[in-house]
Amino acid sequence: MNSLRDKYCIVGVGETEYSHKSGRTTRAMAVEAIRTALGDAGLRPTDVDGMLSYQNNDSTPSPWVAPDLGIRLNFYMDVVGGGSSTEALIGLAMGAIEAGMCQTVAIFRSMNGYTEFRIGGTGARAAAPARGLDLAQRPFGMTSAGQNFALTFMRHMYDYGTTSAQVAHVKVAHSKHASQNPKAFRKERVTVDDVLGSRWIVKPLHLLDCCLETDNATCLIVTSAERARDLRQRPVYVMGVAGRVSKPRVDFHWAHGPISRVAGYYAKDIVFPQAGIGPEDVDITGSYDAFTFTTLLQVEEYGFCKKGEGGHYVSSGIIELGGKRPNNTSGGHLCEGYTHGMSMVIENVRQLRGTIDDSCPRATDGVHTYDYSEGRCRQVKDPEITMNLGWAMPATGSALIMRR
Amino acid sequence: MPQPVQHRGLTLLVPDNDSEWAEYFAHARAHRLVMRRCSACGLMRYPPTHACPWCTDLGWTWQEVSGRGTIHSYEVVVHAIQPGFRDVTPYPVVLVELDEQRGVPTPDEALRIVANLVKPDGRMEDEKAVAIGKRVRVVFEDLADHLALPQFTLTDERPESRVWRLPE
Repeated sequence: MNSLRDKYCIVGVGETEYSHKSGRTTRAMAVEAIRTALGDAGLRPTDVDGMLSYQNNDSTPSPWVAPDLGIRLNFYMDVVGGGSSTEALIGLAMGAIEAGMCQTVAIFRSMNGYTEFRIGGTGARAAAPARGLDLAQRPFGMTSAGQNFALTFMRHMYDYGTTSAQVAHVKVAHSKHASQNPKAFRKERVTVDDVLGSRWIVKPLHLLDCCLETDNATCLIVTSAERARDLRQRPVYVMGVAGRVSKPRVDFHWAHGPISRVAGYYAKDIVFPQAGIGPEDVDITGSYDAFTFTTLLQVEEYGFCKKGEGGHYVSSGIIELGGKRPNNTSGGHLCEGYTHGMSMVIENVRQLRGTIDDSCPRATDGVHTYDYSEGRCRQVKDPEITMNLGWAMPATGSALIMRR
Repeated sequence: MPQPVQHRGLTLLVPDNDSEWAEYFAHARAHRLVMRRCSACGLMRYPPTHACPWCTDLGWTWQEVSGRGTIHSYEVVVHAIQPGFRDVTPYPVVLVELDEQRGVPTPDEALRIVANLVKPDGRMEDEKAVAIGKRVRVVFEDLADHLALPQFTLTDERPESRVWRLPE
């Protein structure tokens, strides 16, 4: 397997507020997120000459955003996609730079995911005609992400005895982390009973098994390790990346089981050999948590536990701050806000720098208390390697391994 | 192009150039559940796609199947997204594994199809009746002269595998 291990870095990260009322365009939010990331990296706008974004006809494309920042582009591409795009685009940015097309790439996602285009398919999206492959699902009342994924989750419960209470621990853990994250949209800690007592959305998913919907924009900046050494932040190196790896029959993935298997089963064989490490070497995971179940399924497939033992893994304390391998220390999509995967990569970059933006008075200087009680610290002590597990759907996923 | 079909507030579009779905739904309107069968390797596939997913041959014929199968997984939609489904909540969506071609060509593969679990009269089945492992047969929901939806209803056949539903 070809590898660009340690040749590229994430040098800047930034985001806007997570809210239910941005009151502005995705263009305005994108500009703020990119400006913040430039400032974080210590880059001038003229240092950036590449741009990538992802969207579902719900955002502003790169060529509209770049002029607002004084950026002249040598390369840009705005791709269709949601979850799993962040990791894939980091790989594409590395490829574009490696090919000599550009030198430094800003990747952004900007979405009014609450006030304009709700991912669940409510509003205008619910009214769109069904044609082509949609005819295999939508006429039966199967439209939203939750409805599309629930068959997979239910079958996992059948195959392995996974319980609703075990899965609820994902929300519990992420809510603890969010309580230490001043920018989290939902900071309150919840219990297993809170999750199980919340109303049903689509069984086996309760309301609190589902992620938030928010307005926000996020950005991260990729450049070569050589250039990264001269910039403001401690470089975070990309060790391995896999993008939108898919199961067979991805058009109708239930045709090729086991249906409780997800795409990480295939992605792990790309990303771990590139990085030259195994799951036991990973200090922090960032797992796409569109739903509680998506974290559980992915930690299994990437080998953090045996297949079928995800219920035990997520309810054992391993994934909590202070545990062996914390997951989504920001609170993730379940609690911090919903930004189609990029926020969990941003969080891991800050973890590796040692400069998590928690409530520790000297957090930005890298001074932390490691007191994980409510409202306090969320910096993991001296993490060396993080891994992001990106999810588009059961049949498609991406992965990213980074080191400090 | 045939008239678009309105179904629970949703517009179903099957243009003339989409022979896969147009012919599939026309067979369903004649109350036949059909799969495309590859002329080269003989394997059937669902959804009715253009090329064989195993050997990529472009030749095919329609093959009627028994419409009998087993619930492989299910979900119950309590909070409907599509407005036209709100008055039938909670409604079950099932993934049915058909009896034909199970575990072929590899043990993980089968002809699986998404539908609603309905009562014999076509109304949505009670959620308490839904379970993985239960046996079902196809029934047809006629929506227009040229289109019907294959749906599934429970049978009294003995399940051949473990029956399980989400605990209350």
